[in-house]
Amino acid sequence: MAEKSPDLDGKIGCVVLGATKSDGGTRTVSYRPGGESDLPFTGMKNGQGSIPLVAFEICDDPDYWSPIVTSYTGDLVINTREWARAAEKQYGADLVRLYLTSTKRRGFEEFPSITKVMEEVLSGTGLPLIVEGSNEPAIDSEVFQRCGEAGQGERLLLGTAEAGGYRSVAAAAMAYNHSVIAQSPIDINLAKQLNILLREIGVKADHIMIDPYTGSLGYGFEYSYSVMERIRYAALKGDTDLAMPMITSATDSLSVKEVREADPVIRDDIAVAWEFYAGLSSAVAGSSIVCVRHPKTVPLLKQAFRELWAGKIPGEA
Amino acid sequence: MALKALDIYKLLPKKNCKECGDPTCLTFAMKLASGKGDIDKCPYLDLNAKNILGASTRPPIQLVKIGVGERRFAVGEEFVVFRHEKTFYHPPGIMFQVSDLWPVETIESITRRVGSEHFVRVGTDLTFSGVAITNESGDADIFAKAIGVVESTGTHIPEVLMAPDPAVQEEGLKKCGNFRPLIYSATKDSYKPMCALARKFGSPLVVSAQDLESLGEMTKLCNAEGVTDLLLDLSFPSLRDYIPAATEIRQKSISRSAPGLGYPIFLDTTRYPMQDTALVLGIDKYAGVIVTPALRFPSSVAALTLRQNIYTDPQKPIQMNPGIYPVGNPGKESPVLLTVNFSLTYFTVQGYLESSRVPCYMLIVDTEGLSVLTAVAAGKLNETLVRDSIKKFDLENLVSHRHLIIPGYASPLSGKIEEETGWKVMVGPRDAAELGDYLVKEWKI
Repeated sequence: MAEKSPDLDGKIGCVVLGATKSDGGTRTVSYRPGGESDLPFTGMKNGQGSIPLVAFEICDDPDYWSPIVTSYTGDLVINTREWARAAEKQYGADLVRLYLTSTKRRGFEEFPSITKVMEEVLSGTGLPLIVEGSNEPAIDSEVFQRCGEAGQGERLLLGTAEAGGYRSVAAAAMAYNHSVIAQSPIDINLAKQLNILLREIGVKADHIMIDPYTGSLGYGFEYSYSVMERIRYAALKGDTDLAMPMITSATDSLSVKEVREADPVIRDDIAVAWEFYAGLSSAVAGSSIVCVRHPKTVPLLKQAFRELWAGKIPGEA
Repeated sequence: MALKALDIYKLLPKKNCKECGDPTCLTFAMKLASGKGDIDKCPYLDLNAKNILGASTRPPIQLVKIGVGERRFAVGEEFVVFRHEKTFYHPPGIMFQVSDLWPVETIESITRRVGSEHFVRVGTDLTFSGVAITNESGDADIFAKAIGVVESTGTHIPEVLMAPDPAVQEEGLKKCGNFRPLIYSATKDSYKPMCALARKFGSPLVVSAQDLESLGEMTKLCNAEGVTDLLLDLSFPSLRDYIPAATEIRQKSISRSAPGLGYPIFLDTTRYPMQDTALVLGIDKYAGVIVTPALRFPSSVAALTLRQNIYTDPQKPIQMNPGIYPVGNPGKESPVLLTVNFSLTYFTVQGYLESSRVPCYMLIVDTEGLSVLTAVAAGKLNETLVRDSIKKFDLENLVSHRHLIIPGYASPLSGKIEEETGWKVMVGPRDAAELGDYLVKEWKI
């Protein structure tokens, strides 16, 4: 199988994330991940799409977050607005990804608090927002409805749709013109199937990002790396059901043994290395948005992407 | 272009002498056609046949061996562009750089570190591969002395001699030329004397040029000088050029459309300000030998783990030995959680159990490396396997209760397992991340 870039005639579609004032939103910047027509980082010529983005992940209930992040970050994590602001101003992230971990509490039903958190984060940062709602069938519909409504006009990215539950998130996305993360368990065919399902209920292809599920370094990352390469390659060969940009997050990076049990003196450095090595490799395999949780990983990944990027970088001449 | 086995057979002596190790000339021809044979094993080939066969029967990427003894390694001989197409075979050697201007103790300690440092992951020993000695002094004696220091440690690890001046290189080779060090490097101006050294010492050689076209010409010139164990230097001024060049080399050599580029890749990350970035690119994208500064501990473990991940055979999931694995310090009353022997499942579940701080036993059953979901679907995970595993690993004497927690995805089996084993089955969560919560809330025996 000796395929060459010249044989590739497919193209990855673009998804719009974030709406600025001129587009009816309040974000200070807007992105269009996707657009590639060649293998990742290979082109000087054309068709390299847009530079990979780095999203910083935060949550509204830090009890459900890695102690590595909470102890490094301190009290900031109990103020979601300030944490979101820090993601932009201090860490330099391109996007903020908010996990509504408060909804994981047993018997959660304080739905108005979701609207409040959304408003806080939207006022804390001008960056485009990714929001992770709930995957609990009893509440997910109401949770996503709240997220979608609070972010109306902002072109959010809502997560996460899975084969076992995608209607609530899709409904909220369609009602308020947001996009959807479609996650499948490290399998190109399941990824394709979910994209088809979403389109059947009315989600447009340019409102879907693929999450192939990312195992952390040493814990299944090799499967994720290869499924990303397969998805990207299939799309470039012309499979339009897979021609959506990818978003990846090796969310277990901070809880694997090597990181969790590390000597406290270097634990942060190991956490960062674990996120960085998997994050950069994900982009090399075709991911358009790489999500991380340790503040120190953000500038490293951003610097690496700039170093490797031959094309135009948004906001720069 | 690749030749068919019969075309190759026509060029062979047809003596069936078996001296190549194959029973007949035809089987030897078939081996050559698949890229797995070595043309030099036939002692009776005439030069013409050798020339025709040499270019088209060797593997699309030349196998190059570096070092001798236990720590020697080989790179090249790859057959695919993407690892999911089959697998990658020869992980890159990662060499720590030392300068001949550095104090003896520094050179010694880095060499000893490469010699002894190892990390065990998933039952495999991970090590760095060797040292690269750079001739920053410009002086032949100082260079030779630094190599002497490396040799004096008795670690016998592979070496790269990085001296552009052939006269300096020769002094270095006098110290360690018997140990098959990698010579760096031959340029347009120095290739003749460098090739002479490579021939004299039987060493592999890196070729350097400013672009792929010139690299292809260089390898032909070196071939004409009788040197075929070559690596291509892709340490271009901008790291941005690495992935495009490495990808083009891999694509063209696999399709055999540029025979001059069918060699492993060499990458010197010390030239770039972002060395971790360069190292990741080299590991992900096709490098054969990577020179790096001596890595700090966090980067060390991450780099070796990434290399292991990328070079794992995607068609053979790493499996755990079935059995009972304690987590924490479990006793007779502790919970028992059943899962499959797919190593990724095992390590994920084990990780979350450890952080739950609830001591327990993991009962790992043999699903031939299949994950829970696929093992249930394929019928590999079933009540008989569970019953036999409980017996085989003597679970009944290990715990005093008769409760078994099974994965959420195995819930359809709960009734059958209860019938077959007589144990009370509790259905756990689907997501291992929820195990801690689950145990705290549900485990009340």
